Amino acid sequence: MKFLIIGGGVAGTTAAEELRKRDASAQITILSEEHHPLYSRVLLPHYMKGKVPRERVFLKRDAWYASQNIEWVTGVLAQHLDGRNKFVGGSDGREYPYDKLLIATGGEVRSLDEDLRGVSYLRTLDDADHFLQLVTEQGSRARGVVYGGGFIACEYINLFKHMSIPTTVVHRGPHFWTRSLLPEAGELIAKTLKMGGVELHENTSLQSLTGDSELQGIMTSGGEFSATILGVGIGIEPDLSWLRQAGMEVGTGVKANEFLETNIPDVFTAGDIAEFDDPITGRQLQIGNWMNAMSQGRTVAKSMTGEQTSFQLVSSYATNVLGLEIIFVGDVERTAAEKVHIIGSVADGGITQVFERAGRIVGGVLIGRNTDRASITKAIQEKQPFSSLNLL
Amino acid sequence: MPRIRVMVDPDLCIGAASCVTIAPETFQLNEENKAWVFDHGQEPEDRHTYERWLEVTDDEKENIILAAQSCPTLAIFIFDEAGVQLFPEI
Repeated sequence: MKFLIIGGGVAGTTAAEELRKRDASAQITILSEEHHPLYSRVLLPHYMKGKVPRERVFLKRDAWYASQNIEWVTGVLAQHLDGRNKFVGGSDGREYPYDKLLIATGGEVRSLDEDLRGVSYLRTLDDADHFLQLVTEQGSRARGVVYGGGFIACEYINLFKHMSIPTTVVHRGPHFWTRSLLPEAGELIAKTLKMGGVELHENTSLQSLTGDSELQGIMTSGGEFSATILGVGIGIEPDLSWLRQAGMEVGTGVKANEFLETNIPDVFTAGDIAEFDDPITGRQLQIGNWMNAMSQGRTVAKSMTGEQTSFQLVSSYATNVLGLEIIFVGDVERTAAEKVHIIGSVADGGITQVFERAGRIVGGVLIGRNTDRASITKAIQEKQPFSSLNLL
Repeated sequence: MPRIRVMVDPDLCIGAASCVTIAPETFQLNEENKAWVFDHGQEPEDRHTYERWLEVTDDEKENIILAAQSCPTLAIFIFDEAGVQLFPEI
């Protein structure tokens, strides 16, 4: 049996590990764009703040792949899929045959059209190293601007704060996470940022960068702001073109059923790129977080070895910005909910939104209200209505 | 039954809750969104802690290690009776 895994992140590597446990003699190959062995993206901010040394972000060593008899091919992108003859063409010119294929390529950061020294992204270990180099080079003349209103923006805000770099935040929407948050919840985050000394510009879009080779500032719809480091966090986008050409059904990601099977026989998907049928919330979801990617890697390995297994997880993601805890649980898309209930207020310093659809709870966003997490998670799992929830 | 020492570093824990999903009998989040160590779901009110000795079966031990492996910040440390660190492997 030949298992081929495209993507060396947590979904792909966990799948490989699980496949090896379940099949000692199979041929397992991972194609990875990055040259590093598996590392934790979630630990990158800890590393950047000096809380853990660089070597601690690695979850596997180079030698692990050989010890598991897993062929680990780095620096190679998949470019072509032939689902009939069952092989993938790599950017190294090689053809990689498979019996079962896993697409776990995650997403690429959405980038700006322009680039100058000082523009920073935060997806990979190399990105983290680059940011630290900028900070070291610039010393006390560093001025930070964050472009975006999501998880990565929060990380940049915390990093700049930690390094005492003055910070301006610019985002296009009226508040953070416009797809999930109601205005009141957005206001609570904005208030926290302003109280933390951040200069905040809402409803503002970036137009161009200023500076010759080094960044000096950004031009926006709300005027010019000086900046020596621009942290860009405007989302990720999977590369679907080679899959679409192969006849794979795609939407915002790779479409899959609850067993993480795609429309092409013997081709599976997992992680950030998977747009899968979620039996718990009754909707197709695409979720970009660690817990989801790792769990899908483990589940898909079962399906790939013939034990067809439904992926069932109420996934969640937690972050904080300047000490304000923010937790997303389940399906938190406002437009997909029939009703979004709100508990708490800006004045209370905590707001929980509960997303309800077809008479049952499907998701929750908790801002400064950590203790609501267990009951909301349980209510989603058990498909309970909002009326059954007892939050104070 | 093996005895193991399970420890959570609250400075590293970000409340991702992977451990709670995999081993809810051993890990539960507290009000600060960090994982406390429970003993088979039991936790007297006044003894909340980030570290404790547990007597577990081999299956439970394996599952607790799986929970530690799932932690995206490697905030969970597991030691055997002799003090040998079982996870993270060093």
